[in-house]
Amino acid sequence: MLSMPDLIRAGSKSWGSRAGGASGRLRFETLKTGMNQLPYNEGPGGRVSKCDARVIAVVDDDDGFRDALQLFLRTFGFQVEAFASGKEFLRSSRLEAVGCVILDLAMPEMNGLEVQQRLAARGLQIPVVFVTAQRDDYLGQCASATGALAVLRKPADDVELVRLVREALGGQ
Amino acid sequence: MSEILQSTSDIPFEDSILEAGAPLESILCTEELQLRHSRPPDYEKENRALVALMGALADSPSTIFQTLAETILGVTQCDSAGLSLLTVDGKSPDACGKRFYWPAIAGMWNPHVGGGTPRNFGPCGDVLDQNRTLLFRHFERRYPYLLPVIPAAEECLLVPFHVGGKAVGTIWGITHSDRRKFDAEDDRVMASLGKFASSAYQAVVYIDDLKFQVAERQKAEAEVRELARGLEARVRRLFEANVVGIAMWNLEGAITAANDAFLHMVQYVREDIASGRVRWTDLTPAEWHRRDERAIADLKASGIFQPFEKEYFRKDGSRVPVLLGGALFELGGNEGVAFALDLTEQKRAQAELAHVNRVMTMGQLTASISHEVMQPIAAGITNARAALRCLGSQPPDVEEVRRALGRIVNEGNRATDVIDRIRSLIKKAPPRKDDLNINEAILEVIALTHGEVGKHGVSVQTRLTEGLPPIQADRVQLQQVIINLIMNAIEAMSGVGKGPRALLISSGQEAMGGVLVSVQDSGPGLDVEDLDCLFDAFYTTKSAGMGMGLSICRSIIEAHQGRIWASRNVGTGATFQFTLPAANGPDA
Repeated sequence: MLSMPDLIRAGSKSWGSRAGGASGRLRFETLKTGMNQLPYNEGPGGRVSKCDARVIAVVDDDDGFRDALQLFLRTFGFQVEAFASGKEFLRSSRLEAVGCVILDLAMPEMNGLEVQQRLAARGLQIPVVFVTAQRDDYLGQCASATGALAVLRKPADDVELVRLVREALGGQ
Repeated sequence: MSEILQSTSDIPFEDSILEAGAPLESILCTEELQLRHSRPPDYEKENRALVALMGALADSPSTIFQTLAETILGVTQCDSAGLSLLTVDGKSPDACGKRFYWPAIAGMWNPHVGGGTPRNFGPCGDVLDQNRTLLFRHFERRYPYLLPVIPAAEECLLVPFHVGGKAVGTIWGITHSDRRKFDAEDDRVMASLGKFASSAYQAVVYIDDLKFQVAERQKAEAEVRELARGLEARVRRLFEANVVGIAMWNLEGAITAANDAFLHMVQYVREDIASGRVRWTDLTPAEWHRRDERAIADLKASGIFQPFEKEYFRKDGSRVPVLLGGALFELGGNEGVAFALDLTEQKRAQAELAHVNRVMTMGQLTASISHEVMQPIAAGITNARAALRCLGSQPPDVEEVRRALGRIVNEGNRATDVIDRIRSLIKKAPPRKDDLNINEAILEVIALTHGEVGKHGVSVQTRLTEGLPPIQADRVQLQQVIINLIMNAIEAMSGVGKGPRALLISSGQEAMGGVLVSVQDSGPGLDVEDLDCLFDAFYTTKSAGMGMGLSICRSIIEAHQGRIWASRNVGTGATFQFTLPAANGPDA
């Protein structure tokens, strides 16, 4: 079994790298929420206050999912900024304003875990929600042990995601 | 007693006859010849004798020595006369011989024909040593081995004779009583006959040689005839056995003859060949013409072409894969023979195996595949949720809904593409060749192996050269090769405990204008002597695995007229590379 620093080092060099040697299955938290429980028909009261200046960052190399998630979160009135890679995100001048980051785990060059570590190294305590399209993923196991709010499987459970984001913003 | 000397093998050698009797001088009386009263020369008799000898030489050369002995006997009126010839084997004359043998004797010693004396211890040897005529009296007193040769010789007159300046023997006359003594006239006649003996000897040797040569030639001709008969029968047997297809052809493109196996392969009948309608140039599909030209260049240079795989058109227009090898009948000639092996079965089995390999590989890739499929589905669902939210807002944001729905369509298409790609890798389809971009093919494979790479903590780098020429290839098969190489590399590196696990996939242009793809890993490297045997079927260094992967890769690459090989990295790990000709390149 590789140690975490090894994983990060292996990942940092590469295109889409992940840690090796998965030894067990990751148990994801999944809430079997039906669509009708969603607040689709809620009025303006269901929205967060427009004056909340904090931003939700979506970091995902998959254009389709990134755009969709950005649009979805905006319908709740959140301010959303999307980034196609960890590097782009870390270069952002508005990192201080980010109240919650939704991080894809499997990204080329820099995976989600490493992005989180870089944030921590800079002393930025931004709440993290990891998302992944993998079903049997050693990275996911590692991620759940990092103190992230959650590790969600794509397509992320929307109710849970919104709850987590609200929790992250409200908790700050 | 005389029988003892009938065989030359009984003639004693000088080293066994050391108990020599009287000294040489005591048995010689050559000077007496001049002192004795000489009879007058009888030239007429001598001439008649010579003419008779010439006649004998012309008519029956094999008897010339015996005729000569009898002539000497007649002319000199002695009791025995004969020839001694140097020999090695006791039969044929040889100036270097160690023994004299007696090929012909007339008179009382006639029964001793075939006997002889040693070269270095005997009267003939003395004559050659002194190179002059010698007259002996009772030579058995010095040479006791002559004692059993009866009747005993009273006097013996020996004259050397030469062939080509070299003394090869003697002619001699013997008296067994003192009834008659040799004189100067005998010496002269013998010398005269000696010259004749020389010519006769040469003639006999020449004739024998000629006979020998004729016999040898006849023998050789008979052997060649026999061989040709045997060969023809064998070639015919090979031709008619129909184990392989055999066709005779010329460089202009005609097929002049073909056996049933060949005809069956291309589904023509004998009459088609006889009519001259079937030409190998027409049997060959256009994309194989270049390869044919290479074979013809080989034929012109070396007279043969090494077997290669190609295709022929059958009579119905379908194609048959064949292994073809051949040779010109003679270097620089125009006609030759070709051997063709039908590869249909092998190709079918290969395709079957390749398919099994693909399905097994895709099985190993399920994690990656689910990831690839899940991405667009996740994006689609999230878009749909966003659209529902927009519809539910007051007032509904119709424009945003429209955008979301457009994205859902795109994501649906993307999922379909991924599934199509995976299905094409799994399904069994006849190979087809399209112009394709090698980099696209590589990137698709990398996407498929994404999960597998991640699972093993391998970092993948790509170094893909832009602007490479398109290649003519079957996308599925080509991707199968790349997948196999990547999976092999991952597996090799998974055994490495610490240290980086790096995979570098690069594309570039090779010297001949085609493309070169290389897959380089940082695994333990290749621990085998012969890197080529890696590509043999059932060769495996893994504990689990059939050893088919690389063999399938090779057959796929070779079917695309490319080359695949492995090498050890300078540092750690191994590199597998393959080349493929460009679609419009010189070797396509």
